[in-house]
Amino acid sequence: MTEEIDFDAILGKYHSDPYDYVEICATHTGRVNFKVAEGSNVNSPSGEWLHIPGSPLFEITRERNPKLVTAKTNGTISSVRTELEGQFVEAGERLLTIRHPLKKKEVIEGILKEVLYLFPAPERAKYFFSLDIQSRIEKNGAKTLTVKPGDEIIIMSLMKRDTPIYYTGETGVIHSVYFTPGVSVDQGQPLIGICASDKLPLIQKIITRVKADWDKLIEPANLEEE
Amino acid sequence: MTAINRPTPASLQEYLRKHELPNRRQNPQYPSPEKIIRYGAIIGSVIQCHSSMGRAMEQARQHIINYEEIGGSAASGTVILADTLIHSKGRFARTWHAPIGGLWGCIILADTFMPRARTLLPLALGVACCEAVRDLGAKKACVRWVNDVLVSGQKIGGFLVESFRSPHYGEEYHLLGFGININNNCFPETLANLAVSLSHTLGTPVNLHDFTISFLAKMIWNIGILCYEEEQDLHRDFSWEDSGDSEGQKDHLLLEQWKNLSDTLGRRVLYGYDIQKKPQYEARVTGIRPDGAIVMRLDDGNQIIEHSGELQYL
Repeated sequence: MTEEIDFDAILGKYHSDPYDYVEICATHTGRVNFKVAEGSNVNSPSGEWLHIPGSPLFEITRERNPKLVTAKTNGTISSVRTELEGQFVEAGERLLTIRHPLKKKEVIEGILKEVLYLFPAPERAKYFFSLDIQSRIEKNGAKTLTVKPGDEIIIMSLMKRDTPIYYTGETGVIHSVYFTPGVSVDQGQPLIGICASDKLPLIQKIITRVKADWDKLIEPANLEEE
Repeated sequence: MTAINRPTPASLQEYLRKHELPNRRQNPQYPSPEKIIRYGAIIGSVIQCHSSMGRAMEQARQHIINYEEIGGSAASGTVILADTLIHSKGRFARTWHAPIGGLWGCIILADTFMPRARTLLPLALGVACCEAVRDLGAKKACVRWVNDVLVSGQKIGGFLVESFRSPHYGEEYHLLGFGININNNCFPETLANLAVSLSHTLGTPVNLHDFTISFLAKMIWNIGILCYEEEQDLHRDFSWEDSGDSEGQKDHLLLEQWKNLSDTLGRRVLYGYDIQKKPQYEARVTGIRPDGAIVMRLDDGNQIIEHSGELQYL
């Protein structure tokens, strides 16, 4: 966990470039056909259950089995590797980049993710706090709850199989919760963000500073409150 | 007090030899029935029978802990049975009615599975129960995703899988909880229209011992299938994890049997992660993916895929 934070440097970075650059790679081997060009705007999934797919990005065909890959985030296509059009690519090959305009909440989360210990989802599944942790959160709030390595904190639910997830990481309090019970989380995505209790004031300072500097930080044209 | 239902590993082995294996041999779909049964044969190698207990899952956890405290390990495949459960519960801490006459218990399985088999493990319970129930003549029994077994819309069997890490050695186990209504014909008012017993369905009492043996034999088979398919996966050159559909791929034998026994595909359903507390949306089921996830089409024409949750037929 970062001891000292250079606020000016971090905020300056977001001020000069308030975007996230999301690299989209080949999901598996196959022949690729792009559905976007540089400068195209793309939408993220929408609908009440996020069931309406985002904008088509490319189609990848393996053994006569085409798979359409859609955008998971909104933004503008900043680069496309057009030289790969119609070519066979390996899994993991970078294909294009989406320039995603950051919202205030995302800037805060982005900074926090640099200073929190992020506990990742072991599998794509649905997650909920264990009964004991849930009742303690309901009673006193997450930020009063200290977790240490070996604690059973979260239950992973996959195909009606409930698996307790044991915390592995630094001892600290649960500052951020990144999952919603009943909503699937992809493997590797953070479930919770943990910080040492003595770092809580520092975290609060980050949030206050970003909120205070938000209007100065982001050019009006890029301003997206939520 | 001595348990009423007391199947033994020997009687299970005899049933496997005389009935299960010959029956499976008749189906050309299965390439190596002997091998499949060998893979699953640890199920029921130890069978504990109790007249009464709190929760079978808790008993299983304690059983594992007790063994570790004396420097040993619980035998994988241990079956714990009880004539009645006093504090049984289903998912989301729902109460589960478990009086004398039903089949209540838990199987302890060491986690030796690869990810795909681990994901499909809950399906094995529903398939085994449905096969055992149909074998006795309840031909209308069907599996509802993930693994509920229903007869004419009423639940005859419910299952829950919980994983457990042992406190001393850190071994991972799967606890396969099962509750099957056999001769218990009286249900609390809240369950009266939702649950049914096998004896009510057949119109005659069922020999609980024989049903237990049949169910465990089918668990041996279906767990064996998971292990057999793991072996096959090692020789295949595709990753099931990134395959959106199974075009050009041979179906997993357990999924194939699940499809044969399930009436979920094509049904209009209400979906919810916890359907009793928070039903979410209505959709039509259009398929099941190689990883067991259910594929549905919403009214707006979009497709949605769920890896967890519950369905209610509409």
